[in-house]
Amino acid sequence: MLPDGAIEANHLWKRFRGDRRRRVLRDELERIVDRMRGRGGRGWKWALQDIDFAIEPGEAVGLFGVNGSGKSTLLKILTRVMYPYAGNVSVGGRVGALIEIKAGIHPDLTGRENIYLYGSLLGLPRKHVADRFDNIVAFAELEDAIDRQVKFYSSGMNMRLGFAVAAYLEPDVLLVDEVLAVGDASFQQKCLDRMREVIADGTTLVFVSHDLAAVEAICSRGIWLAGGEVQFDGPIRESLSGYRRSIEEHSESLTRRDGVVRLVKVEVAGDDDGRIRTEGPFSVRMVMEAAEAGPATLYLGVSEGPGTPIFSLARSTFFASGETEIRCAIETLPLPRGRFFLWVGVFGAKGHDLLQWHPAEHFDVIGPELDPAPRGVVRLAPVHVTADWEIEGR
Amino acid sequence: MSVANQTVAGPPAELRFHRRIGIRTSMRELWGARELIRTLAERDIRARYKQATLGIAWSVITPIILMVVFSVFFHGVVKVKIPQGVPYPLFTYVGLLPWTFFSGCVAQGGMSLVTNNNLMNKVYCPREVFPLAACAVAAFDTTISTVILGVLFVIFTFAPKITTLWVPVIMIVQLMFTLGVTLIISSTLVYLRDLRQALPLVLQMGLFATPVVYPSTILPANLQWLYALLNPLAPIITSYRNVVLLGLPPQWGLLGLGAITSSVVFFGGYIMFKRLETGFADVA
Repeated sequence: MLPDGAIEANHLWKRFRGDRRRRVLRDELERIVDRMRGRGGRGWKWALQDIDFAIEPGEAVGLFGVNGSGKSTLLKILTRVMYPYAGNVSVGGRVGALIEIKAGIHPDLTGRENIYLYGSLLGLPRKHVADRFDNIVAFAELEDAIDRQVKFYSSGMNMRLGFAVAAYLEPDVLLVDEVLAVGDASFQQKCLDRMREVIADGTTLVFVSHDLAAVEAICSRGIWLAGGEVQFDGPIRESLSGYRRSIEEHSESLTRRDGVVRLVKVEVAGDDDGRIRTEGPFSVRMVMEAAEAGPATLYLGVSEGPGTPIFSLARSTFFASGETEIRCAIETLPLPRGRFFLWVGVFGAKGHDLLQWHPAEHFDVIGPELDPAPRGVVRLAPVHVTADWEIEGR
Repeated sequence: MSVANQTVAGPPAELRFHRRIGIRTSMRELWGARELIRTLAERDIRARYKQATLGIAWSVITPIILMVVFSVFFHGVVKVKIPQGVPYPLFTYVGLLPWTFFSGCVAQGGMSLVTNNNLMNKVYCPREVFPLAACAVAAFDTTISTVILGVLFVIFTFAPKITTLWVPVIMIVQLMFTLGVTLIISSTLVYLRDLRQALPLVLQMGLFATPVVYPSTILPANLQWLYALLNPLAPIITSYRNVVLLGLPPQWGLLGLGAITSSVVFFGGYIMFKRLETGFADVA
């Protein structure tokens, strides 16, 4: 038996039907023929391949990866809702899961009845739920609606109820899958705070989200899944930066339509020795070729992760037909150590694409690591600010 | 980054997952989930009547209407032969109780894994709680209907016989058969959705294959044993009638045959359910 809150996955494999054959009699017969010819494996797709990890009690683990990388399947196996094809998984203690926003909540019952229902699903005695009832309702901000049928709730209310129940019934392992998306900003912060409290109380957390900033704020360890395999398992910043890089490289590799303007060349430079340093100079040199002359706005941006730039620069200009050289210099680059991506786009007067907004180049910055934010606090962008501290006893 | 394709070799055979769950572990799990069964049943009962104006009265209305219809049609029009001295409405009502319980369990319990699939895919619990909760709902309805039976006794000034004390024994056989069939249907239905369409039809036919509106004696005596083996509800209902209405002992021999089928269905059904359980989340 594992201690409460520990999770152990040994060589997990899971497959699903990936073919388009439906379950009518003719298709079933076809499958039987396949099996007799020794091709029974046809039409299956591996959703998880040889997933292997162990999570200690009280750890906060972020699970991320692109759509279809197996995150939800893995969570379902961890809740023991689904069984693996091979390998095994053991989870110590009670598992509280918030997997699909509405799941577990019965639309015809009132909020109150749903709280009790979910409690008994978690295997809690009624009294235990009753003791925490007021906390749950207060957290979900549903005081006025608690005796209303859940089907008349808004999707935000639904999610708040679900999260409050899962987080306040004190499971040993809390699994949270992409739920912050529906809440408003203040509730999202509240959820993050609650997750932090829950971890501080010693609950194990597995947090799945595409909101990488939130994952970074909560978790200390990151597991990056790609194509059903563990791509990286380690400290959160390292695994996230690997993941961000792969997304960026993926979007860099997408074939982009050349517009009216074509990017011929792009170069980035830093100091005299060519290195790019925190708070040092940074310059971009581009050569563009325009098919026809016209006014345009040129945009440059720098991002760390998927798409959202840390900062962006814009400049209105007039392209003559033929090649144009553009130079842009930044005196002090406010970026910490890490790999960043340079985005470029050119848009016409009416806002139409002349050159699609896309990552054109990446570069590495040398310098200090970024100071961490308090746990549970989402930092919007990694900007380096030089600061002098003086701390004296009085 | 696409989902892995089938060119991947797959795991070595010795890693294949085989769930080992003994009868004792499953029993312990089920016992741990007893409160969940209660909550689920309560939920279904509450949810069912939440927007119905007549509310809980429906549990009473359904069997009474059936009884009246059967009485008018089978007694008044067709004139089914029943034992002397028993009012036809009582005769049919006593048969109707186990039948409605059975069909309620199988219809609702059979669908329970599909209708509850959002709960089932969320948190682990022994899966049989869903069909069992549906059976608990049916049991609740049957209890209310039984109270009506008491009222009928007063109306017809007919007292149940002392042999009514045998009822619990018959009930064991009845429960085993009903739960077993429910487990089998519910686990199969997850994989074979055709059953969803077929189920109401089969249950309707079942009503006529079971001695509810007629006495089981309309079958030749030398075929009674086969009838009892194939449809244990027949000796169950006849035994209920014997002990409650006629003051006779249960049909021991035939009930015994019915008990054989019932045990096979019950234990086989439970094992089958636990076997199929591992794949529910993949298809539901």
